[in-house]
Order: sequence, then structure tokens, then C-alpha cells
Amino acid sequence: MIELPVIDVSEDVEQTSRARFWRSIHHFQNDPEYRRIIREELLPGASDGPSGASRRQFLQIMGASIALAGLTACRRPIENIMPFVRKPEEMIPGVPAYYATSMPFRGSLRGLLVKSTDGRPTKIEGNPEHPDSLGATSVFEQAALLSLYDPDRSQTVLRNGKPSSWNDFYNFLSGRLADHRVAVISEPNSSMTFAALREQLSRRFASLDWIEYDATGDDAFASASRKVYGQALRPRYHFDRAKVILSLDADFLGATDRDTISNTRGFAAGRRVDDGSEMNRLYVVESQYSITGGMADNRLRLRSSDMAAFVAALAGEFGIVVSGGEAFADHAYVKEIAVDLRRAGPKGVVLAGESQGEAVHALCIAINDILGAVGETVTYLEGNEESAYRISVLRDLIASMSAGRVDILFIIGANPVYDAPPDLGFADAMGAVRETIHLGLYVDETASASEWHLPRTHFLESWGDGRSYDGTMSVTQPLIAPLYEDARSELEIISLAATGARTTGYDLVRQTWQGILGSNFEAAWPRVLHDGLLPDSGFGAVIPRLRTSALPSAVSTVDAGIELVLRLDNSLLDGSYANNAWLQELPDPTTKIVWDNVAIMNPATAESLGLGMDLTNGRHFVDRVTITVRGSSVDVPIWIQPGLADQTVALALGYGRTTVSNRPERRTNLFDLDDYTDVYGHGAISTGVGENVSVLRSSDSMSVITGAEFVRSGGDYMVASTQDHGALPEEQDEVARRGIFRMATLEEFRADPHFVSEHEPEPIRESWAEYPTLWESDHPTGEDAYKDNDYYRNQWGMVIDLNTCTGCNACIVACQSENNIQVVGKEEVSRGREMHWLRLDRYYVSGDGLSHDDPHMVIQPMPCMHCENAPCEEVCPVSATVHSPDGTNQMVYNRCIGTRYCANNCPYKVRRFNYYNWTKTLPITIQMAQNPNVTVRSRGVMEKCSYCIQRIREVNKRANIEERAPEKGEVVTACQQVCPASAITFGDLNRADSEVNKKRKSTRRYELLAELGVKPRTSYLGRIRNPNPRLMSEA
Amino acid sequence: MSTESTAKQLSIPGVDFHTDEPLVHGNLSFHDITELVSYHTEKKTPMGWYAAFSGASLLLLILLVMIAYLFWNGIGVWGLNNPVGWGYAIVNFVFWVGIGHAGTLISAILFLFRQKWRTAINRSAEAMTIFAVICALLFPTIHVGRVWVIFWTLPYPNQMEMWPQFKSPLIWDFFAISVYFMVSLMFWYVGLIPDLATLRDRTTRKLRQKVLGALALGWTGANRHWRNYEKAYLILAALATPLVLSVHSVVSFDFAVSIVPGWHTTIFPPYFVAGAIFSGFAMVVTLMVVARKVFGIEDIITVNHLEKMNIIILLTGSMVGFAYITEFFIAWYSGVHYEQYAFINRAFGPYAWAYWTMLSCNLLFPQFFWIKKLRRSIPFMFVIVILVNVGMWFERFVIVVISLHRDYLPSAWDYYSPTLVDILTLVGSFGLFFTMYLLFLRFLPMVAVAEVKGVLPEAHPHFYKHSGDGQEADHTVGVTPKRDA
Repeated sequence: MIELPVIDVSEDVEQTSRARFWRSIHHFQNDPEYRRIIREELLPGASDGPSGASRRQFLQIMGASIALAGLTACRRPIENIMPFVRKPEEMIPGVPAYYATSMPFRGSLRGLLVKSTDGRPTKIEGNPEHPDSLGATSVFEQAALLSLYDPDRSQTVLRNGKPSSWNDFYNFLSGRLADHRVAVISEPNSSMTFAALREQLSRRFASLDWIEYDATGDDAFASASRKVYGQALRPRYHFDRAKVILSLDADFLGATDRDTISNTRGFAAGRRVDDGSEMNRLYVVESQYSITGGMADNRLRLRSSDMAAFVAALAGEFGIVVSGGEAFADHAYVKEIAVDLRRAGPKGVVLAGESQGEAVHALCIAINDILGAVGETVTYLEGNEESAYRISVLRDLIASMSAGRVDILFIIGANPVYDAPPDLGFADAMGAVRETIHLGLYVDETASASEWHLPRTHFLESWGDGRSYDGTMSVTQPLIAPLYEDARSELEIISLAATGARTTGYDLVRQTWQGILGSNFEAAWPRVLHDGLLPDSGFGAVIPRLRTSALPSAVSTVDAGIELVLRLDNSLLDGSYANNAWLQELPDPTTKIVWDNVAIMNPATAESLGLGMDLTNGRHFVDRVTITVRGSSVDVPIWIQPGLADQTVALALGYGRTTVSNRPERRTNLFDLDDYTDVYGHGAISTGVGENVSVLRSSDSMSVITGAEFVRSGGDYMVASTQDHGALPEEQDEVARRGIFRMATLEEFRADPHFVSEHEPEPIRESWAEYPTLWESDHPTGEDAYKDNDYYRNQWGMVIDLNTCTGCNACIVACQSENNIQVVGKEEVSRGREMHWLRLDRYYVSGDGLSHDDPHMVIQPMPCMHCENAPCEEVCPVSATVHSPDGTNQMVYNRCIGTRYCANNCPYKVRRFNYYNWTKTLPITIQMAQNPNVTVRSRGVMEKCSYCIQRIREVNKRANIEERAPEKGEVVTACQQVCPASAITFGDLNRADSEVNKKRKSTRRYELLAELGVKPRTSYLGRIRNPNPRLMSEA
Repeated sequence: MSTESTAKQLSIPGVDFHTDEPLVHGNLSFHDITELVSYHTEKKTPMGWYAAFSGASLLLLILLVMIAYLFWNGIGVWGLNNPVGWGYAIVNFVFWVGIGHAGTLISAILFLFRQKWRTAINRSAEAMTIFAVICALLFPTIHVGRVWVIFWTLPYPNQMEMWPQFKSPLIWDFFAISVYFMVSLMFWYVGLIPDLATLRDRTTRKLRQKVLGALALGWTGANRHWRNYEKAYLILAALATPLVLSVHSVVSFDFAVSIVPGWHTTIFPPYFVAGAIFSGFAMVVTLMVVARKVFGIEDIITVNHLEKMNIIILLTGSMVGFAYITEFFIAWYSGVHYEQYAFINRAFGPYAWAYWTMLSCNLLFPQFFWIKKLRRSIPFMFVIVILVNVGMWFERFVIVVISLHRDYLPSAWDYYSPTLVDILTLVGSFGLFFTMYLLFLRFLPMVAVAEVKGVLPEAHPHFYKHSGDGQEADHTVGVTPKRDA
């Protein structure tokens, strides 16, 4: 502060000898109080108010602030940005690298190829080299990326809920382990290293009790095969070779199936009919509506509890004497399926789902055996031993725990406090154990109940290995150093327990692989890391002998009454993905519900229970029902869906989580909606979503539960669904009349391969033969614009085969991950503001002998059509959406002012508007998950499918540098890449030999709403169904 | 002597012989007219005005708060969703543009058609037009997602070398409405000049003299001034006339040019223009019925004026109703399934209540105006015109929202419901309108004094000759204006 020269009053009062003039006695006496008053009166700041800053200070600060504010406009970075002095090997800033790794999923590994941009993983793809993946993935692999960056992941070691440290844990462990009785509960883990460490641990602790735990309980197939074949096996189905498939409550195409990718690929292969090859026929008998049921040629809705009787009757047709199936002995489906299966012989296959018990699986195995299908449409692989008796070992362990025979309990990844059947009393038994140690990604229910919680590394952060479903040995390599220092992998923890030494995961895995690769290790290891797998290391196929004597002689039939069927959730699995916002907002494949689990039932069942739902102002308001089983009860909202069996209520596991998050609650003032728009702003994503229905289970009825009581507990609960009108009869009529989804039976197709044109509404304005005509006529090849721009050479287009698309949702999440699509939360979805660029439209189809109660279900993926004559482009006042030279319809976010006119004028309604700023509040880790090659959109702009333009340009760039044209199939969109059914084909329309042009020649091809003259570049191939004509009038 | 017989006896212009009634009642002289109108801008501001003004400004404040809330948070505060990208904002926009039609129609077209009865209402109708167009312009401005770059819709040279897309109807809109606004404003102002000069000459307060003097542009009432003025007014009328027709035609292109079933309709331009005149006249009647009573100018704005406007309401209402029926017929006749569904959905879908509100308010209720007694009944016409205002708002709602909420793919169908912010913004826009209108009533002559004088018997060149000696005729003109208003 500037000091001004001010007369000090005190100086001249005494020392002057001149005549003195004074005003008061205080002045004369030079009273200190008086001096203070005088000083303050005259000194700078004398006129200050009581607040801290003086006028001068204020001006100074303001002046400086303005100067600084001006300076900040210069945008000088504060951090010191330094170039790499030595460039890390193979790393070019901005150029992504791909690494092979693998992801554990339900006890086996899925081979992955992960894109790493400047050191952080940004996209997960299937590993094309991996026999189990061949480049495709399911929804869970796609979403796993977001789990890595989940801000709610556990970050520190906790002891009794309080932050602790690794050193404390080491001290604790080294002091305790000597002669304690140790038990381990582990999630299913196929890792060879893990198995070796288990071996080591059991050598150290003779009394080691190590069990495998899974929320689904016993694998009924494993126990059935153990019974009838003498060994616990896992089936690998070869649907590509099958002609007749019977699924009994098995959602083998659904994302929760352990082998879904291989199943989907094989099934899709059997559905390709354009070359005149034969088409398989899928019979589905199921209680709920699964996407497998949607693909069925003949579908019978049947309670899960009646499945045993059904299969017993069917077995009877094959000469297996089982009592209990009398009710179905003359059922048309039993007769017809038996005829069809017998005709197919080894080309037939029967499989049962996870809801079904040992007996049903055993009978399916027997039928397959009789058909001669073993080795043809199904092969049996070893390596499923422990999954056959998970419940019994858990029961034993709980008994020891309660009896105080366990001192230290390790829980690796599993969450039994949340999902163990309550009759086992796991939580109580846990209280009887002295020391409990939990290793997990989240501070979940089990973590909160444990003494120690250790943060676990995500698979993208840690070393590991394991076997894929078919047994192929694969490696898990980290793509990034653990985001949180304290995180360790399960290998490191078990190794610590077994040896007391802190060995790194890398060393442990390397050690194991030295044993596997033998003397050739140094040469072979880099190859394994590069490929992510060891070729030809799959489980051997077993050709076992059926022990007919071991087949059940009777199946139990459950009398009438409403059954509850619990299944893994299509999006959250057993709840281990519950904290993933992408998956929470992923519409269920059949109900299209997000952010909730509901009790699904058909209209008749709902009516009998006096429950209902209604649609008010575009939102669904449903009743809630309290379901009570053996004293446990949950209160869940209901959902009425047609096509379910009568007297069945379906529930999904994985909801009602209590994950602890230490992020602060976002609160904003009245005027600001950031607290509303921040999906991550209110604790953990999973907490408070839905209800935990696993408490209804008991150890002997893990998925099908009878004897439940239903009491309506309330109404007007809002459920958010991305498709608002569900199954209104008028909507079905509209879909048919508009030719939106075109399908025919195989017979009709053979008779008239051009059946799709039958549904073509008039008038079609131009012939499609010479395509793309419009762009060509506007931009003749001789013009400069063409000659100067390489992009004109390629004209991109897409074909979606409705015949192979199962509706598994993988493309939605792949698109979300690739294109930085934001999550908006339940409330906003219910307002119709979801952001997914690619939606899967689900329609029910009735008529043709099908009642409203028992409709078909069809799925239609709906990305942007990239119309040649795009209606959106015409109406934008600022040219923010324009056509690219290579024929895509582009969104220029920077230019968009957000009039939403384009969205109004889009007949497909594929444009998505940022009603709020969804990215403003993104947690920093979630920001790391964004694809750096795609703009992160702010509020007020429109967005939509871009045909993955960033991928196209990437290829263009590469091709230009290499002075060549883009190769055939070089550009792959995210949705195309992920699709296990290869239902999406993308490519250059200008290349005569491109895949997409081949598909476009299909007689089944049609363009949606072509009569509008918009000339969509995306077209569809009509669906073919292959129903048994003798069952057509049934159901 | 009754005014009627005077008029007949004198057979002077300014009397509408179709109704055989003079346009101005009460036997008013030139001076009385001046007094009657000017008085209201010169008197002490009455408490009633303050009460009305504070009510209107409160609503305006609500509007401003709602806009601030919108700008701060984003378009999500409205009820829009994926199929329904336009909601209240665009409905309100078209509604206000429609209201903004009557003024210029009355001023320009009726002027060209020599409809002298327009003089009593043209000033306030023009003011209403300008204020309504301001309200209308507000909505497309605030409804864009990124309002801070809305100037990109303007064609101006810039370093990006980017121009607006002239194919987009929104750009046409911008030009049509801004031109309409500017011409209307000029027209209104030119018409005001002689009256502003009158006020200037009457006042004794310095500031008022200065301001009015500046605004009156040195008007002295000289013959030359009048000649130029009349020419300018005629030219502006000729310029404004096509705009009256074009502006709402262009607004209708926002819809007609798109491919949304229910929007993509060639009937839209005439149908929108008729609807706009319909709603504009309804608004004029609404305002006049109140204003003439409050300001005691029933003799200038007579029931005859109101009746004439009601006849226009009846005519345009029937035209609009005919358009509704034609739309249905064409939807059926076209054989296009989407069109058919769009119209069936209007009448019987989830928004049927809006459709039937519209239909009864716009087609049914104005039909009562066939009955002379009803169309001359002030309370009755007030109810009807309010209903017409409501009906015309719903017409825009029906067009905008119902068409969008169910278009081509049933999977994308949804329902739109407004939020509180939507509703308060609509209410607040009335605040903006009435604030401006009340300021107008307070500070400017609400009746075109000079023009009304032109239609008085007194204006006739031979008026004074009847007594034969150049003196005033034996009938007396003049009343004392009510001072209590």
C-alpha cells in the first residue's frame, strides 16, 4: 500500500516553543486517546467502513484483478508442459495403440483388444484373434471401460470403515497368519496363476477352506453332467451346425449368457438365407420374454416350473421314461418339436437355461445324446468342476464360520452379504469370524461388513491370466497403472497371504506362464502378450458316455400358483456392474426400462393380482407390490409385458445396492440445476436404484420360487422406459401399415424373394439401381470439387440385417463409448431425453393367429440413416448439419445454435438434443473415459450418429499418407465392430466388391420410409422366420 | 335534432351509409376530439393506471426471471423431449405474430380500401401490432439452444466465411418478421406525427415540449406537410399491405416446408394468414372494449366499429374453420397414411382435448356473430373474443405439438407436457405486452386524432356553408369530455 506523508500530531505538540493554539484540554495534554482519534481522522483509511478492505485496497485489488483477468485471456498454461526427452517406445502422441488383454466374465475370460490413447484406455473391442471373441463383444465388455474410471471405486484400504494403509494391513497379516484357520470365498476365476496361488496357500494352511461363490448358485448343467456323465462339463453349442434348436428357458443369445458371443455368432450363421442355404429353426419355451424368445420361430410361453414336465414329456418321445410329464404328453409343441428334432438328428440340439434345475438339464443332455448331437451341435468341455456344488460348499463354510472354526476369511470379488440366499445366514456367520478381509472394486455391502477392505485393481490395471469359455489360455495385461495407489489385484493379495512377500502381479503371471510355455518361454511370451492368448490351448472336447441309469426317473411338478423367476439382469448382471452409468441407462432389451428393476408379469397375471399400470403424459406410472417369500419381502414396482407365461412374475437381480461413495453430494442454489443434471452428484450410481430381490431366494430355490405372496403396496411409481407406448394395439397396426419392420416366413420368402417390396408404400420416386444418384448428379466426377477431394471417392453406406440382429444391446454401449454419449438419469429418460445415438426399437407383432397376449417380438436398430436427401440439412438456418463429400450427414457442433428444427424434420427421430450441459459436471475420471477423437458436446447442440466419422477420417488419413485408397472393409463403425451376429455391414458403396454392396443386392433389402424420398443410406434386410407350419395356428 | 337525421340532412361524407350511422357519435367537434384524446396523455396519472402497470410489470419481471433461468440452465427447463423439439416457445411465437397482424391490416389494407371506420381503432391496433411482434420476436430468440451465438442466423460478413443457410425457413422468418416489424413501426410513427405535434402545441411544460417537439419532426400542419404526409402514408400503406400477407405465409413455411405429417400442407399460407387476422382482430376487440370504457371514448370507438370487427372475426373464423375441414379432407383424399394418421390423432389421440378446444373456440363460438344482437353486445363479444384468443393459441399448439409427438416411427412417439417455466414464460409474455401497451396508453394518443377529424362532418368542405353566411350551422357541436376517466 502506498504510504502518504501525514503529519504526526504528536511530534510538534511538545517541542515547539512558539505560541500554541489548542482546542481542548485533551489536545493540550496530548492525551493518547485524543492522539488516536486525531490519527485516525487524518490517516489513510480513516474513512473506512467496518469491513476489511478500504476504498484504496478495493481499487487496488480491482485494478489488479482486471489486469489479471486480462492476462488470463492469454491462456498461458499454468502447468509446465514438457515434451518427452526420450519418446517412449511405440508411443506417438495422439495416435492410439492397441493392446490385447482379456476380461473376466462369470468365471471365464473374454479376449479383448483395447485402444489406448496417450496412455489411457479409451475403447474396448473384442480381440479378433481370439477364438471366443473374433472381434465381437457383449455389452459388459464395452461398459467395463467406464467401470475403470468409475469415481465411486474404492480408493483406500479401510479398516472397520476407516482409512488405513497397506503397511497396517501387512503388519496385521504377517502377525496373524501363522497358525490361523483361513477360509477364502472367491468369485469364479479361471486364472491359472490364481489356481497356483491357491495351491500355495493350501500348502501353507492345511486347514484352508477355499470355495467358489457365484450369485447364481450351482451351475445346474455342471451338476447334471456330473450325474449323467460322471464329470462336470460345460457345453459349447455350435448353433451354426444346428437345424433345429430347442431352448427351454435358456436365453443363450442374451448378454448374461457365459458364451453369448459364440452362441450369437453361430446362431446368426444358421439364419443367413440369401445364398439359398438352409435356415435353422428355433423353438423357445420360456416363461419370460428374452431376446432369444424374440428370435424364436415358434415360441411357447410356459411357466419355468412347468419346464420340467414339458421336458419330461419330450424325453418320453425319445424313449426316456420319466414320470411327471403327463400333462404335456399330448401337447402339440412336444409332438412337433420331437418330430422336428428327430428329423434333424445330430443337427438338432436342446438346451435348458439357468433357471432350470439338474433334472431338466439331465434330460436335455440325454435328448442331445440320443439325437447324436454330441460332437456335432454341442461339444462338452471339461473345466467346470467347482461350479456344480457351490451352494453346498458355501453352506459348509457358513457352518464352520458360525461354529468359530474360521479365523480369517478372505472374500475375493464376491459380494455374498448382498446376494447370498438369506436362509444360509451368511451375514451372521461373518460376524462370528474374527478377521474378515474383503478385496473388491467398491466399498459394497460385503466390504462394509468386513473388518478390512482392500481396493482392487480393475482388470485394465492389473496383470492376470485365465481361460476363456472354450478354455483358450489368455493373458490380462494392464493398459494403465492403477488409478488409485492402494489398489491391488487378487493375485497379489493371495500371493501375499501365501508367501508373505509382496510379489507383483506381473511376476506372478510370468512365473505361471514360464511353466506353461516351458523352455521356449522367452520367445513365446512376447507373442502371447501380443496376441493376448495362447493358440490351441482350449479345453479338450470330451465324448462321454451317458449313464441312462442316472437319469431322473421322475420330475417334480409344481402345482398352480404364481411363480417368481429371478434372473441375472441384462444390464447389471448380478449387480457387479450396478455402478456403471452406461449400463444403468441401457434400456432393457425387451422392456426398454432403465434405472430400475421391476416385477414383470403378463396382463392376465397382473389382473389376477389386482395390479396395473398406466401411461400419463408420456410417463409410466405403475403399482408397487410387496412380494413375500418365507418371511423375506421386497417392495418392487411392477411392469406389464405381453408374451410372458400366465402366473409368472420375473425379477432381475443386481439392484438395490448400497455402495459407499465418499464423493460429496452436489448441492446448488435454487437457480442452478447442476445438482439435477449431475448423474454422479448424489452418491454412488448404484445406490438407491431398484430393490435387492435376492433376499427372496433360498439355497434350494435360487431362481424359481413358488409360494410367494403378492400384496399391492402402492401406486403411481414412475418407471422410465425409452419406448413410451409399449404394446398399444393401435401402435402395432401403425407399424404394420407403415412397413417399418418387414418380415416373412421362410416359405413366403422362397416363394417371393422380393417380399419386402410388397410392404413398400407408394410412391417410390426414384429407382435405386443406380446409387448414389443424387449426390452424383449434384457432384459430377469431372468437377474440381470431386477431383480435389479424395473423400468423394468413397460413398459410405450401411445395411442392417434384421434377420440376424438379436437385440443384445452391445451396439448401443459400443456407440456410447466410441462417441462420448452422455448419461442423463432416470428422470430425464422419462422425459424422453435419452442421448443414445443408436436405439433398438422393439415392436410386438400380433395377428396371424397370435393374440395380443402372445405376440412376437422384433427388434430394429435405428441409427441415423444418413439420407442422401436429408430433411434435416434443408432446414438448419446456419448450415450446422451438412452432407460430407463421402455422403455422410454430418453434425457441426461448433456451428449448431440449437433450433431443434432438424430433429423435428427427421422422420426417423434419431437426432438427440443436449437439453442440459451434461458434461459440465462430469467427474474427472469419467472425463478420462471420453474418446479424444470425438467432440464432447456441450449444452444446446444437436447430436446424432455420425457413421463414426472419426474412424472414417482416421482411415482416410492413413490411406492418404500411404498414397492409396481405403481398403475394402478398412472402415469399421463401432456398432458394426461389436456385433456378435455381424448384423451390421458398413462400407463403400462405390466399391463394387464391398460387403455392403453385396448385402445391398439382397432381395430382402428395403429402405425405411423410402416413400418420403429422403434416400436413406442405411437400409435393412427383412426378417425371415422359419416357423413350423403345423404350429402356426397354435398358441 | 338527432345525429342521425343531421347526417342524412347534410348528406356529408364521413357517414357510413351502409349502416346509416355516423362514425363518431356524440356530436363531437374537432376540438372535442383533440380534448378527448389528448387529455389522457396530459392528466395526472390515475391510480388505476399504476395498479394495472404494476400488475403488468410484475408479469414482465416473471418473464425476465424465467428467461434468466432458461439461459442459465438450458432448454431442458422446458418440457421438450426427443420427438417434440418445439413446444410453447414456438406456439407463443406464432400466436403473437398472429396477433400482430390486425394492426397493419387495419392501417394499411383498410386504408387502401378507404374503410374510414378504421380511423377510430388504427392507432391502438398498430401499437398492439408492434408490441405483439416484439413479444413474438422474443420467442425464437430465446428458444435456441445456444442463444449466445444466435447472431449466426444473420447474414453478415465474418472471418468464418459462413453465411446463414438461405434454404431454411427460419431465415425467411427472420427477414419476414423483422421487415414487417420495421415497416409497421414506421407506419405507426408516421401516423403519429400530426398528433405528436398537437400534443406538443398543447403542452406548457418545457421537457414535454422538447421531447414531443423532437418526435413531431417540426410538424406545423402546413399544406405542404400534409401533402407529403399523405403521400408517405399511402406509400407505406402500399408497402405494408403485401407484408401483412407475406409475414404469416412465411411463418407458415416453418411448418409447411418440413416433412412432418400435419405440417407439410400447402394450405398453410392462406390458412395462417386468415388465422392471424382472426386472432389479431379478436385481440383488438379485447383491448378496445376495455379501453373505450376506461378512457371514456365510446363515442369515438363505437359499437359500430366493434361490430365491423366482429364481422371480420366471423368471416376469418369461418375461413379458418373451413381450412380445418379442408385439411381433414385432403388427408383422406391424399391417401397418404401418415397424413391420415396425423389428423386422426389430432382429433382422437391423447391431445384430443386441445383439438376440440381449438375447434370449438375458433369455428363454433364465432358463429354466434351471425346474430346481430349478439355481435353488438359488448359483454357477449368480450367473452367470444377471449375464447377466440384462447382458441387461436390452441390452434398453434395443435399444429406444433400434436404433429410432432407422433410422426413416422411409433417407437419414437412420446407425449409433451409443459413445465412451470413454459407456462410462466407464456404468462410473462403478456406482461411484456401489457407493460408496453400501458405505456402507450399513458404517453401517446391512443386514437389517431388527425384521422378521426377527417371523418367528422365538420371536415366536410361544405359543412359551414349551410347557414349561408359562413357561420357555423345551427346545430351545436361539442361536449365536455369526461374528466373522471
